[in-house]
Amino acid sequence: PVTAGSIVVPFGHVIGNEKWRGSEIAQRLQGKIRLIFEDGLGLVDFHLSNRTCILYISEADLVAGDEFKRRLVQFRNASSLRGIVIVERTQISDQYFLAVQNLVVLELGMVLLPVANQGEASQLITQLVSSYVREQSKDHNSNPFIRKQCSQLAEPSVFRTVQQIPGVGKTKALLLLQHFGSIHRLCNASVEELELVVGQTVAQQVYRF
Amino acid sequence: LLSHDPLEKKPPLCILVDSCEISSGAEVVSSLKAVHGVRVQVCSLSSCDYIVSNCMAVERRYLSELLNPVNRSKVTQRIQRLQSMFQRICVIVEKDRIKTGETSRFFQRTQYYDGVLSALVQAGVRILFSSCQEESAGLLKDLALVEQRKNAAIRVPTEVGAHKREVLSFYLSIPNLSYLAALNMCHSFGSVKKVANSSPRDIAAGAHVTLQKAEEIYRYLHYGFDVQMLPENLCAKGR
Repeated sequence: PVTAGSIVVPFGHVIGNEKWRGSEIAQRLQGKIRLIFEDGLGLVDFHLSNRTCILYISEADLVAGDEFKRRLVQFRNASSLRGIVIVERTQISDQYFLAVQNLVVLELGMVLLPVANQGEASQLITQLVSSYVREQSKDHNSNPFIRKQCSQLAEPSVFRTVQQIPGVGKTKALLLLQHFGSIHRLCNASVEELELVVGQTVAQQVYRF
Repeated sequence: LLSHDPLEKKPPLCILVDSCEISSGAEVVSSLKAVHGVRVQVCSLSSCDYIVSNCMAVERRYLSELLNPVNRSKVTQRIQRLQSMFQRICVIVEKDRIKTGETSRFFQRTQYYDGVLSALVQAGVRILFSSCQEESAGLLKDLALVEQRKNAAIRVPTEVGAHKREVLSFYLSIPNLSYLAALNMCHSFGSVKKVANSSPRDIAAGAHVTLQKAEEIYRYLHYGFDVQMLPENLCAKGR
């Protein structure tokens, strides 16, 4: 059955597809995170949060042919969940990797993360879960790659920008800004107005610029 | 492989390359030109390695850099800066080159590495994996192709004349403005005055940026300068 719908994942838990019971991943995850097994997850192998799930592609899947591709496309069409594809990249399956990456990342716009074996996969899943836990607890500083909105004073930048005008150095930039107040007003100043602040030559240069 | 065919009718793909990549990624650059027929323009981008479209920057990182927390601040600063400039960011994780004399290098996957990947995924940064420079070039071309399909391909002339260069560096000094947005502004607007008198909507169209980014630019150009707020060290030098 093609079920890929959303599911409620309790905070800090992972819901695993029944078929993973007893596997190496499951054994290694238990003890680190709370893992619950459920039947009927359909295409999905693990749910990490209400919005994110994992589809696991083993070395055997890759070698067996295109069945896994059908599964990914089905998932993409049926679900609005964020899908992370974990793929076993081994010496045997390495030759298929580029094509899989192309399909998953470039065509389907999903996330692809290679691992060497189930042991590495369990480590990766643990990290993914802990980063979701941190996110849900609204600890925004925890993710270094999410941009923090910092309000910086614009004065130093504006000062620097005006100095990019030919003929204008620090002194003249300061004079111009003191007189006109903003880049917008400076741009709309007439030659006569500019001449009052800086010399004739520079006024011409600024005006022409 | 079918996707190669429609290329022939369209203008060639264009990718901007940071001048640093000439030394560190020579094979990426030559392979982009020779194998993929991409128009490559080397500029001093400084903030990122590659720009493949109006919206997307690509950062090429060696696997060893991401495995080792030593490089943590360098990598995070780069990505944060890119987040402030570009809508879409992609990191290509490339396997380290095997130096002559080494037979193979064995990398132990670290918890730190998994943490970096998780954080990148969560921040919405795309990740691609490559095993060599030639492969990275192929990925860059594929990314540029996808961006072209999204109608975001780089279309402006990338060479700039003497006067344009002065105007370009003026635009580049606007905070959080990407090289390509500045380039687009150079070509879309006849003069700096025109930009200054444009609405956010016009700026967005001319610079090929989001309305939000255009509003940021608009506010900057209209910002009321207050000498009192200028840090003293800058002020003192000016006098």
